[in-house]
Amino acid sequence: MNIKIVDSWLREYLDTRQNPLEIAKELSLSSVSVERVEKVDNDSVYDIEVTTNRPDLMSILGIAREASAVLKNAKFNDLKTIEPTKSSAKFPIEIKNDPRLVNRICAVVLEVKIGDSPKEIKDRLENSGIRSLNNLIDVTNYVMREIGHPTHVFDFDLLKTQKMIVRESKRGEVVTTLDGKRHILSGGDIVADDTTGKIIDILGVMGTTNSVIYENTKRILFFIDNNNPVYIRNTSMNLGIRSEAAILNEKGVDPELCLKALLRGIELYEKIANAKVISEIFDHYPNKPRTTTIQVDSEKINRVIGVEVNPQNSVEILNKLGFKTKRLGEKIEVEIPTIRADVGLDEDVIEEIARVYGYHNLPSIIPTFLPNKVIGFANNFYFEKRIKSAFKYFGFSEVYTYSLISEDLFDGPIENAVKLKNPLSKDLAYLRNSLIPSLLNVISNNKTYDGLKVFEIANIYLKKTNDLPKETPMLSGVLKKKHASFYEVKGVIEKALNDLGIKNLIFKKSQKSSIGASIYIDKDYLGEIEVLDTDIVDFELNFEIILQHATNSKIFKPFAKFPPILEDISLICDAQTQEIINTIKNQDEKIVDVTLKDTYKDSRTFHIVYQDFEKNLTKEEVAKIREQIVIVLKKTFNTTIKE
Amino acid sequence: MEEELIGIKNAALSFILEAEDLKSLEETKLQFLGRSGKLTLAIKAVTKLPIDKRPAFGILVNEVKQTIEEALEEKAKSLSAVRKTNLLEKIDVTNPGIKPPLGHLHLVTQAIEEITEIFEKIGFIKVKYPEVEWDWYAFEALNFPPNHPARDDWETFFIDEKPHPKYGPMVLTPHTSSGQIREMTANKPPIKMLNIAKCYRRQSDVSHVPMFHQFEGLAVDTNLSIANLKGVLDYFVKSYFGKERVSRIRPYHFEFTEPSFEVDVSCGVCKGKGCKLCKEGWLEMGGAGMVHPNVLKNCGIDSNKYSGFAFGWGVERVLMMKDGIKLDDVRTIYSDRMEFLEQF
Repeated sequence: MNIKIVDSWLREYLDTRQNPLEIAKELSLSSVSVERVEKVDNDSVYDIEVTTNRPDLMSILGIAREASAVLKNAKFNDLKTIEPTKSSAKFPIEIKNDPRLVNRICAVVLEVKIGDSPKEIKDRLENSGIRSLNNLIDVTNYVMREIGHPTHVFDFDLLKTQKMIVRESKRGEVVTTLDGKRHILSGGDIVADDTTGKIIDILGVMGTTNSVIYENTKRILFFIDNNNPVYIRNTSMNLGIRSEAAILNEKGVDPELCLKALLRGIELYEKIANAKVISEIFDHYPNKPRTTTIQVDSEKINRVIGVEVNPQNSVEILNKLGFKTKRLGEKIEVEIPTIRADVGLDEDVIEEIARVYGYHNLPSIIPTFLPNKVIGFANNFYFEKRIKSAFKYFGFSEVYTYSLISEDLFDGPIENAVKLKNPLSKDLAYLRNSLIPSLLNVISNNKTYDGLKVFEIANIYLKKTNDLPKETPMLSGVLKKKHASFYEVKGVIEKALNDLGIKNLIFKKSQKSSIGASIYIDKDYLGEIEVLDTDIVDFELNFEIILQHATNSKIFKPFAKFPPILEDISLICDAQTQEIINTIKNQDEKIVDVTLKDTYKDSRTFHIVYQDFEKNLTKEEVAKIREQIVIVLKKTFNTTIKE
Repeated sequence: MEEELIGIKNAALSFILEAEDLKSLEETKLQFLGRSGKLTLAIKAVTKLPIDKRPAFGILVNEVKQTIEEALEEKAKSLSAVRKTNLLEKIDVTNPGIKPPLGHLHLVTQAIEEITEIFEKIGFIKVKYPEVEWDWYAFEALNFPPNHPARDDWETFFIDEKPHPKYGPMVLTPHTSSGQIREMTANKPPIKMLNIAKCYRRQSDVSHVPMFHQFEGLAVDTNLSIANLKGVLDYFVKSYFGKERVSRIRPYHFEFTEPSFEVDVSCGVCKGKGCKLCKEGWLEMGGAGMVHPNVLKNCGIDSNKYSGFAFGWGVERVLMMKDGIKLDDVRTIYSDRMEFLEQF
């Protein structure tokens, strides 16, 4: 969350000689990030990012206290509230609170004169990024920015029943907020009800038109409510109202600030709106936070920070930040103020010391220890990198498509899909079970290209009962070109897997797609090649199975001492090539290799390599084996052998 | 006899002169000097001469043979020179080469490879953990309070499944930090982990995509300090962005680290002077911090004995922060146009 802090306003509570740029630099290094310093007229404005755990810094006072700790020779002067002229009149409104919803309410009724704010207040608000409207509204914003607690103002005369019940909204209740927008509540919002069932405020988020001040307002109810942040977050997000009050309230603001804010507000109303206090001060405080103490060990401070910090130095840092301390030997006892609800452990206290000591003052030391496990060189990441690079050098381009898909892109019945409860859009509503539809999208998004080769390695997600989905990495790709060839894709897969040490690839006619192959490594099912149409061939392989078989172990085969004899044999039959090759190979162990050399019409020529590693093969020996091959081929496949 | 030798010599020389290529030159050589070549046969006829004439004949034979051999050699040289010239004359060195196929690895893959190698050099080990996780790993064990905004429907994707009795709802990992819990519950310190994975958040704009990548480092050992974290950050920034770039850490807030830091890298464009692209000379890279004692405890690690540091940054973010890449919309990285993919 960002906040704009006006330099002159800050200096009301901070004594320092440093200029705005120096202040910005020191704050960035040791406290909050100052993203910009802007010059405005004779003033400067800091644009500051405050982390969500530090709502106390969303204020002039908060930043002033921090700056006094991180700047050299700086001093924080806290705001001293003035006791207002008391009124003995009873507080006229009957308020019934639900302590689950609201921690504290401080309120007072004032008689006022509506009008413009003086220039100084206007300028400060406008420079802080807050629109100046009139003196009654301006005071609420001024107090919020200065002290850090949101405040609200009702037109007292619009509160006809003079009663207020704080309750949770019901689903379907309708309100119109002060910006004129109509909202249908979904229930569970903190609202104020005037006991007739009419909602007169959405607490901590935004006022409603039926109760806020207007140009004829004469009397106001100045109202400071400290709310349960969980409810505020829900309401703010559900209604899309990201007002500064809502953003502050959802982070949790210190209820101790309520009365301070009320008194400061009364002072300002008296000053710029001729205000007169016409009721006693109402202070309902059911949930008072407790202060805690933490003991911190000097030795631990040094261990975490990595250098030795003088305990006296630590104590000074903590005191400047608003912590009370006591030295107990090697320990420091730290009292945590309620405004610092983010500090709960000694680590939190060490952080306070470390950042003000200065992270930039610490050395950089690379830790040289080694982890408690050894992973091999040829691990899964090695093979993934290797196969990706093979595909690159085969001319494929890698893509990254979304794991989240629309219903249309899911393969199979949608009930099987892992489904998101809160998708961003219909297009990103399910987790995919195949990469192919996403890759085909890539193809159709690149229509002007005649030739395309793309691939991706990513997880698919398969639903499991009462368990996390099974995430399986898949290697998928698409080849698109005129007359795309099944054999081209098959060749790429074979070579890429060969490079990973995988040899025993088996291709069978696909059971899944009409034209294509099912691929196995030995008995393990690997995936499919699918011929989608004459121009598109795709493939999807289970990368987990590939990893199970991938190896970079190597075996040296001694050089052959005797030359091989090479022969071709041509035949005509219907059998699959692989069957014929297997049959030929099985005839004799001297047949070391059989490959399909050529196809012409319905005739196929096989190239046979005969080799004996012990001695020279003779023509007669080969002739005998060949005779055996011919007999078996004729018998098995009823084939014609072309001699 | 002498005349016959002179005749052979002249015939050979004229054949050699006329030879147009190395092949016909070789034929000429065989024709005269081969086993049954003309000169060879003539030499064999020496036995028919009277003994006193033989020495003079011998000298002449040698002369003829030497002349023919020299002529052959000379001609062979000039012929091969001609052949080379002819070949070279046909090459237009400016014609396109015959190129092997070359595809492209995605920018994100290239970044992940660089990041991995940088951290592996100082002993971090890459791991892989689930993308779909239980709330316990993604939030609870990381010390997120029950009502933290990241745990509501607005920032994190939830899976439409029954919550686990112990581990809570099922979510898409919004950060790689869930890997810290997986790593620390499965391994004993010392730990040096690098987790690079897909992450998902419910947002889409110039600087956000619903699916992106993070890299997460985790180190757990006895006596690790903020100074050690600084050492690793400086090393990464110099290795990845360049030696002239520097890093700094500033106070920040995360639930699972204490203290927490925001890590900045000096701007490569203005060299740290301050420009439109940066904040007063610095670019925000991401978060880091000392592992929160509650996180160690949740993973069964004694927080009195061990401490750790962790950091988690966007792969796309550091990619876009590299000098000269000029990518200013993270959504471009996930463009599937070949016009984009083929650039890298």
